[in-house]
Amino acid sequence: MALTPDAIHLSSSLSAPDPASDASLAEGLAALESYKKKDPAKVVVRFKAVGNAPIMKQNFFRVTVSNHFQAVIQFLRKELGWKAGEPLFTYINLAFSPAPDDTIANLYRSFATDGHLIVNYSTTAAWG
Amino acid sequence: MSNFGGIRHSPSTFASSPASTTLFRRLIWEGTVPLEIRVDSKELPANSNRGLECYFIQAPRVSYLPLLVPEIKRFLQDVVFDDEAARLMKEEEWWFESEEGHLLKWHWPIGLIYDNHATLTTSRPGASGSARAQAVPLRLTLHLATPPNDRLQLSPTAEACKQAFMGQLKEADFLRWGNTKRMTGLRKAEQDGMWEGIKEHNFDDYWRVASKITPTTLPASSPHAPQSSMHTRPPSADPQGVPDRDGAYSVRSVPIRLYLPEGPVLQDLAPPVLEDGTPNTLADMLSLHLPLLFPAPGPGAGPTLAYALLQGVITPPEAEIAWLGACMSGADGWVNICIGLGRNR
Repeated sequence: MALTPDAIHLSSSLSAPDPASDASLAEGLAALESYKKKDPAKVVVRFKAVGNAPIMKQNFFRVTVSNHFQAVIQFLRKELGWKAGEPLFTYINLAFSPAPDDTIANLYRSFATDGHLIVNYSTTAAWG
Repeated sequence: MSNFGGIRHSPSTFASSPASTTLFRRLIWEGTVPLEIRVDSKELPANSNRGLECYFIQAPRVSYLPLLVPEIKRFLQDVVFDDEAARLMKEEEWWFESEEGHLLKWHWPIGLIYDNHATLTTSRPGASGSARAQAVPLRLTLHLATPPNDRLQLSPTAEACKQAFMGQLKEADFLRWGNTKRMTGLRKAEQDGMWEGIKEHNFDDYWRVASKITPTTLPASSPHAPQSSMHTRPPSADPQGVPDRDGAYSVRSVPIRLYLPEGPVLQDLAPPVLEDGTPNTLADMLSLHLPLLFPAPGPGAGPTLAYALLQGVITPPEAEIAWLGACMSGADGWVNICIGLGRNR
């Protein structure tokens, strides 16, 4: 799973910033670095079949919150034995499909129900 | 500015919101960014006209890269490629990178791509505070083959982009009201009309439908709105009941995301009014989620180290997020705030 952020290429600048702004820039860069650290916390994702999609025996999973929703879709496809190209539609709370690059952390904070992030899956477009 | 004030559309379409709201919505809609699109020189077919492989476009902020592809393709066919190369061109394999080699997402609004890049250029070691890119073209490299599909996460078609757009609208709807009834209550022709509005960059077509799902703004002092403001009372205390049901201050949460220059993107519930009854401001939200960059005011608090860029505008910290949600959100319903290093200036 390609879950690491894209490589960042920082080119050095030839400009000479004044010392005061340089200090606060360094402090700001340190803050950005700390916000980039991946949160190792895990939350419960609960998969629920919709329509005639196959039901999973085990449908609770603990997922690291820094994962993208795309990784959860890929995991689900693997669990279901879905082949590439076979359609699978995924939704949150029977309502909408999140962007594939949305993180589980963001989705959990915004949409968790009773401590679970509920992901519905369907073989046909349901709430598309 | 007065040109934007509502002479180009029928007033009835926007009757639920005051003129200032329509003004801001139109300013957001009319916002464009300059792009300089260059085909990767290593991928340029033989016999191409090499002096001309660069294409400049002033693209709407609310649009998406896949919607630019037909225009770019026409240009390459007509001017740059020879007949054979034009015939073999497969736009389903196209993908874009920024000049620095960052992959550009198909499903991000173009304005967000531009703002995120602008904050990136000021937030690198050695960047001086005054070096912030302003109205310079964003340089994009167009690759003609071997797209990194796992990282793009979406096929580069207008249809996939439309589905992602609809998903974002529904997610925003769910955040605001706790369900997607407003979105699902639209007829299919209305939903399609919103996307057509973006494709054609037609404000009236888009807002004719979008005004049914976007919160209204009815300030207390406005002569158009005899109802009193929701600023200081919970929605349930409203004696009239009806007028503010769709109001910006009645939503559960404002759809808002904070984009750090190299990630991550932060999203959380953002109630329009705080527990003490005061409006939730941008400053409140920034100091809650990014305290290292935006320390909460108080004795011994450090200086603010960053600024918030929304639709290309450095946004005042006292802005109320409910208002931002009703007036400054993108066409996908989201308030996309890019954080850059440096002081408010």
